[in-house]
Amino acid sequence: MKALTAYTGAVLAAGLLFSSAALALDFKPYGRGDYETLLKARAGRPLIVHFWSVICPACVAELPQWAKLAAARKDVDVIFVDTDDAEERDRAAGRLEKAGLASASHYGFADNFVEKLYFEVDRNWRGELPFTVLVTRDGARTTLAGGLDDPDLVNWLSRNVGK
Amino acid sequence: MKRIRRSGKSLVAALLMSVTAASAEEHAGPTSGNVESGPKPAMKHTAPACSDARPDCAMTVFPAFDRKGRLWVAFSVGKTVYAAASTNGGKNFAAPVVVATVGETGVIDSHGDARPKIVAMNDGGLLVAYTTRPDKQMIGTIFTARSTDGGRSFSTPQAMLAEGGQRFDAWAISPKGRIYAGWLDKTHALKAKAEGRDFAGSGVAFGWSDDGGATFNGKSILMDHACECCKMSAALDRDGLPVFAWRQVFEDGVRDHYAAKLSADGSSLSGGRVSDDNWAINSCPHQGPALAIDGAGVWHVAWFTKGKTRQGLFYAASRDGGKNFSPPEKIGDEAHAPAFAALLAVKDRLYRVWKEFDGNATSIPFQMSRDGGKTWSAPHVLATAADASDNPQLVANNKGAGYLSWVSHKEGYRLIPLPRDEKSASIR
Repeated sequence: MKALTAYTGAVLAAGLLFSSAALALDFKPYGRGDYETLLKARAGRPLIVHFWSVICPACVAELPQWAKLAAARKDVDVIFVDTDDAEERDRAAGRLEKAGLASASHYGFADNFVEKLYFEVDRNWRGELPFTVLVTRDGARTTLAGGLDDPDLVNWLSRNVGK
Repeated sequence: MKRIRRSGKSLVAALLMSVTAASAEEHAGPTSGNVESGPKPAMKHTAPACSDARPDCAMTVFPAFDRKGRLWVAFSVGKTVYAAASTNGGKNFAAPVVVATVGETGVIDSHGDARPKIVAMNDGGLLVAYTTRPDKQMIGTIFTARSTDGGRSFSTPQAMLAEGGQRFDAWAISPKGRIYAGWLDKTHALKAKAEGRDFAGSGVAFGWSDDGGATFNGKSILMDHACECCKMSAALDRDGLPVFAWRQVFEDGVRDHYAAKLSADGSSLSGGRVSDDNWAINSCPHQGPALAIDGAGVWHVAWFTKGKTRQGLFYAASRDGGKNFSPPEKIGDEAHAPAFAALLAVKDRLYRVWKEFDGNATSIPFQMSRDGGKTWSAPHVLATAADASDNPQLVANNKGAGYLSWVSHKEGYRLIPLPRDEKSASIR
């Protein structure tokens, strides 16, 4: 019995270690030029790039729904880009973990030249959030300013994913 | 890009239902949707230009001239808010004075529309205002600290309100020395949330001080449902009462603009909607309007929208106290994403500047009007920046000279005189 308890404890400890490692959010740096790199690396699969920020209540409110979408739609890559300064990254991580997005793919703005970053995505984007890019299997891009409730996103998913 | 939105909730429900259905049909496979496959970029990106206590190391710089003609700026670097003065037009600053340092977990609002501010009083006093966000994302606290010794020292910062959540303060000082403040206030939104009710945006609250910022009166919400993530702007009307402009959430989630004057007793607002852009969107534009009022009492507003009716940067004026506004006039070169306009009325001149980006460099074009905003000089670029930059600020000294105040990472802090006549406005 004692041995079993010790064993259970070890398993639990290992489990805790593993889960805390899995939960540790890794924001890859996102700077000028990275947008095209990201898209090239995922060419051939439907892709959603979602830009959000902790100072955007609409963004934070819909993160749990993004978690459901990312979990349910394994046939589309979803990348999250936090547009906050580095000093907000911890609270961004907190928001993502709370929403169930700890294991998703995360990038964080690591370049203050935000005009350039916006321009590379959409030359009419001035930083309004949430902002989402939809990329089809054959590379066609659509940008959406606004939330996950955008009917265009629903339509895009039904047209391009899960056929 | 579609911007009209019907009821969001039903769409989300429909989306998630379709998601569930689709994933049930999906073939099981080894490829996870979110596995990293791309090259991992090295840390090649530019860090903030510097971390010294200097205006040119700050993300945002807010200017004000004092009665002696000294330029003051408020800015933050890291966890500290500073005030610094220059006697040579921003070329050099005296050693900055620490106004406040926030704790390890706090963040100073200093990005884009949000920034520490400084106002100079007629009696030589200075007031610095800044917002910290100690825990949750939008729940801020506005602090003020005053100096009565010409900026050598500042009082211990005091919170405008201890609870409720406030951000995006805007300031105006009357000729009699009353300090007016407006801000976006989350108190009603938090109450609604606690009671399980929906509530769009923030309240719009106002307060004033007759003792140089030592105490504030009023501090009440006079209107609800301002867009919670865009700055307010303030200007003094010719009757000495303050006017404020902000982005308001109208019916169906339309985020257009509103401008209103605070009554003499501080209990009510009178004004109106600036334009019907019909930007129905559940998002944060992160871009509030600019406001200036000229000697004839004309209200001038500039704003950004991606509405169904119009998209871009616009200007309009009201000659009847906000009841009616002129038809929106487009500002800037649409090919270069014009944004973040600033307005300044000084003597008989009205200026507007804004930000444009051509894919490589940012520029600040300006225009001048000598007829109250009816006609404008051709746009000319006042300054450019090759890398990251703040939004442009306009400021006037007590002699009636206007300046562009702008900080950018590569070029540093610049105070650039605005042309004073048509001839010099057309050169450059």
